[in-house]
Amino acid sequence: MNKDKTLHKEIRKDFPILSKKILKTKDLVYFDTAASAQKPQVVIDELNQFYKSHYSNVSRGVHTLSVESTLRYEDARKKIQSFINAKSENEIIFTKSATESINLVAQTFYDKYMSTGDEIILSLMEHHSNLIPWYFLRDKYGVVIKFANITDSGEIDVNHFESLITPKTKIAALTHLSNVYGSKIDEKVSSICKRNNVAILLDGCQSAAHLKIDVQKLECDFFVFSGHKTYGPSGIGVLYGKENLLDEMPPYQGGGGMIGEVTTDKVSYAELPAKYEAGTPPIAEAHGLGIAIDYMNNIGIENIINHEEGLTKYAYEKISELDFVKIYGAGDNRNSIISFNIENIHSHEVSSFLDVEGIAVRAGHHCCQPLMKHLGVNSTSRLSFGVYNTIEEVDIFINALIKCKEFFIK
Amino acid sequence: MNELLKELYQEIILDHGKEPRNFGECETHNKSAHGHNPLCGDKVSLTLFIDDDDFIKDIKFSGEGCAISVASASLMTEKLKGKKLSYAENMFKDFTDLVKGSEDSLSTIDEDDSLYALKGVKDFPMRVKCATLAWHTFKNALKD
Repeated sequence: MNKDKTLHKEIRKDFPILSKKILKTKDLVYFDTAASAQKPQVVIDELNQFYKSHYSNVSRGVHTLSVESTLRYEDARKKIQSFINAKSENEIIFTKSATESINLVAQTFYDKYMSTGDEIILSLMEHHSNLIPWYFLRDKYGVVIKFANITDSGEIDVNHFESLITPKTKIAALTHLSNVYGSKIDEKVSSICKRNNVAILLDGCQSAAHLKIDVQKLECDFFVFSGHKTYGPSGIGVLYGKENLLDEMPPYQGGGGMIGEVTTDKVSYAELPAKYEAGTPPIAEAHGLGIAIDYMNNIGIENIINHEEGLTKYAYEKISELDFVKIYGAGDNRNSIISFNIENIHSHEVSSFLDVEGIAVRAGHHCCQPLMKHLGVNSTSRLSFGVYNTIEEVDIFINALIKCKEFFIK
Repeated sequence: MNELLKELYQEIILDHGKEPRNFGECETHNKSAHGHNPLCGDKVSLTLFIDDDDFIKDIKFSGEGCAISVASASLMTEKLKGKKLSYAENMFKDFTDLVKGSEDSLSTIDEDDSLYALKGVKDFPMRVKCATLAWHTFKNALKD
């Protein structure tokens, strides 16, 4: 514990933004990592250095800068391969966001493996980015979308999920870690999919920086996450796909970089991973993400997990003691995210109040309107932790919550 | 307590947020619109009855949202009732200016006005949309 505390002081120094004062007086308490993580100095410096010393376009020039950029871009791919334990670097596709990764899969998986009347399973707690790409397929091609129920503890109802599968079910797309409940998906879901020959996409936006990711153990066919939630830059997303699927599926976008040979009447496509990377990719952003992954590896994923588990447990217990606060979901299987409401106070008021105290929390529907409807609420507040948060910050937050309630409910 | 918060949550705002006036639907209406803030999910539905001389004879709203958006809608209905449309459109402009922090050229809202209570929103840029949702819905209703 003592050792962890020392380690922690050092980690906070790595994030320059944490020394910012909110409204000139309040120390920043950043509890919105689930929306986007802050960036360590090393990522900021490396981005700067990349543009100052190495930048050019990738994979097409033979000059020195092009080589230096390409090496860094491809190096980032290898780092990600190892970070999520993919079998091959051909299975790592760079996109502009996790959202684009899901759109890519929805469109190209449909093109290869589905037709009108086929079925997709989602859950009621998916982020809009894992709903709308599939809604597009429903609207355009008449596929059927089924929704798995969510239990009161904030997990997929596994029995209900299994009951939805029919011979027409082709793919399930589910959150690996809920951005509202903080709950991790039951591993049984992947096995059920495998047994029934249903492909599974896991949305790892909330898990990639907070859990140990092993795509082979997870038995998923696709795994997506974003750079900006994993201490890297925005504008970069990752798609992992099993090589045989990525090989069989058609390209997503056409453009430079994804071609084999082009004539006036036909085109052949590049090998993986270039086949899915049309156009100039987010080059510096990929490099920055690679550096962010180095940063997490240097701290140690296990250390990050232990630290955040401690914070989450402490915060959950402390908030549970407040009789005017309702927490959504159960206490166990909760990772770095707690959504809550104060009785009779809208989350906007809570968020504005906390902001003035220097505390950043998210308020709103968290891009999960179907889940909000299921919960019977318009919005919630959400605190979420990153590697830089502390127990002391949780105490500041708890005191501010009490003050907030006293302010609005006299 | 922080001055900015006091400014934002004046008594009148909290009062209208908790007990909105003109809540519901007009018995007869000839204009209506739904407003929605997709960023936070706040909703407002507005019904109006406008007479042949362009006076707002009746105006009511319903919906759900934070104290700022509900109070703003409630205060708006109080203000607009009985006003001529041309005047109401000027109020729309003045109000949106006010909550964005520019109050130099207000012609329909002065410091004694209840709408002035929402001026504190200017220090919370992310909340401007909460305060203006009802007003934009009003604008849309006129196109109905």
